Amino acid sequence: MTKQKDDIKIDYKYGFSMPEKSFYKAKKGLREDVVRMISKIKKEPEWMLAFRLRAYKIFLEKKMPKFGPSLAKIDFDNIYYYLKPTENQANAWEDLPKEIKDTYDKIGVPEAEKKFLAGVSAQYESEVVYESVNKELSKLGVIFCDMDTALRDHENLVKEYFGTLIPAHDNKFAALNSAVWSGGSFVYVPKGVKVKLPLQAYFRINAERFGQFERTLIIAEEGSEVHYVEGCTAPIYTTESLHAAVVEIFVKKGAQVRYTTVQNWSKNIFNLVTKRTHCEENGFMEWIDCNIGSGITMKYPSVYLYGEGARGEVLSIAYAGNDQIQDAGAKMMHFAPNTSSRIVSKSISKEGGRTSYRGLVQVAPGATNSSVFVSCDALILDEDSRSDTYPAMRIKENEVEVQHEATVEKLGDEKLFYLMSRGLSQADAESALVLGFMEPVTKEIPLEYSIELNRLIRLEMEGSVG
Amino acid sequence: MKFINVNKQKKEQMLFDQKGETYVVYFHNISGKLTFEITEPEIKLYIYGLYTGKKSDEFHIETIQLHKSPGSLSDLLIKGVFEDRSKFIYQGLIRLEKEAQESHAYQKNQNLIMSKDVFVDSRPYLEILANDVFCTHGSTTGKLSEDQLLYARTRGLSAPDAEQMLVQGFIDEVYQKVQSHNPEFII
Repeated sequence: MTKQKDDIKIDYKYGFSMPEKSFYKAKKGLREDVVRMISKIKKEPEWMLAFRLRAYKIFLEKKMPKFGPSLAKIDFDNIYYYLKPTENQANAWEDLPKEIKDTYDKIGVPEAEKKFLAGVSAQYESEVVYESVNKELSKLGVIFCDMDTALRDHENLVKEYFGTLIPAHDNKFAALNSAVWSGGSFVYVPKGVKVKLPLQAYFRINAERFGQFERTLIIAEEGSEVHYVEGCTAPIYTTESLHAAVVEIFVKKGAQVRYTTVQNWSKNIFNLVTKRTHCEENGFMEWIDCNIGSGITMKYPSVYLYGEGARGEVLSIAYAGNDQIQDAGAKMMHFAPNTSSRIVSKSISKEGGRTSYRGLVQVAPGATNSSVFVSCDALILDEDSRSDTYPAMRIKENEVEVQHEATVEKLGDEKLFYLMSRGLSQADAESALVLGFMEPVTKEIPLEYSIELNRLIRLEMEGSVG
Repeated sequence: MKFINVNKQKKEQMLFDQKGETYVVYFHNISGKLTFEITEPEIKLYIYGLYTGKKSDEFHIETIQLHKSPGSLSDLLIKGVFEDRSKFIYQGLIRLEKEAQESHAYQKNQNLIMSKDVFVDSRPYLEILANDVFCTHGSTTGKLSEDQLLYARTRGLSAPDAEQMLVQGFIDEVYQKVQSHNPEFII
């Protein structure tokens, strides 16, 4: 008897969209006057305008990446590069416009906040509209605000670091972001301060054909600790949309930063993000990167280990369903002695989805006694799907230990049979195995995110099993 | 069982098309792009490569294990020992086409770096288009184990002798594997 394939489509969980109510919308397409106008509206200092204009020129010169999935469908002329939702930032939840509040209520920002969040900074369209920073954090000298506010209130700090780790000429999308960036978070943790609760920001895109170009900068001074969480959910649209973010993180001597992303863009979005960390002596950087949504994601969080004893970690999950390509990975660059790095990647492809791990590990001369561990596991759930692994290891030093391993397999028949013999349905058995496969990464994520992630995966699994 | 010494045959494109046959392939210090194409089921293909780089030796090697039919196995092991200023650039690809269900494909690259000026670039790639398969690849690059060296020296070996013994043992794995298939395979 042949199994009947279930055609029922499960609604995209966050597939709702609010009527647009924006105060200002730039014209479609990118021209120099659009860049100038963004800077003018934001009342930015002269150096930032110069930075944007330089980046705009670089953007025009740079070619599209030569590797990975095709980005030919991105129509740069058909995108709004700036959108300002409301005139002023609201200080309290009650002051937010109703549509925005409704949108957040559906994602659950207030609930999340109740659950001991240190501060919630919610990004709606291109600017942070709601933000509450825990009083204790301010007392400790921690700055947690949106990038535009940071540029206004902490200009010198921003100027010192902004664009120094990911310059505009790094790649085409970093250049684009540098030219038209808007919103994003700024986090500054003073020396020795340990922020115990995770700082969170919710991101949403809510205007059709509108690209979001947020810019995040995190500075963790000597001996400090911080955990930043970024979650994305976006409504469904019919036309292509672009998300090109830049995230720069500075981890000073002995500091620890953990950056968690749960990316669940709708399938029409190109998610092309550049993320990089500069890690000094005995610093520790962890990227936890979960890519569930988007049509095409290209994202390779990296750690540049410049100081002796610095450590870097990337834990990543990629899930590609129908019409999705997850081209994710990690980069670890060892420049100093006794540095170590670890990359653990878990990917799942299903219903014609395609996952690729693309990674680079480089050990420069002088990075003696460095160690590198890379592990990539992939699950392919049906015969239409595909999984690729493209790691590169460049070793220019002999006092090192570099290990890489990868496996690709399907769900074990014996395991499925066992679970089903214990009374689980096939769908339940499959999702139990998939969740177990991801667990080494999901257990590192804050609870409410990992619950949501597990729920999403289960939903995706159930949608297809006949 | 068939034995192919690539150094002697000097062929870069190799076709494996006898159903149920076992093939053993060996090569030493060659550069180029080797394609191993499996077009029939139930084939067992073992590939062994050995690299010993000295002075300014430079090797660029690319291997492709291409499975086009179901139920076959390919197992690749490339080991290298690099001294002085030698360079080793390796790119290995396992590609399982849609038709290659129930295949097993393995790829392993292990490199020993004996000097500071060595450069090793290892890229073990996988492209898997079938779902009912099992694939693994692994790559390790490093120096001789300090513990093993220390042990050998506590047993009375001089430092150079201990080093040589460990390197010999590392290389011997390749010879032993080739001859485990048939002791008459001489390389």
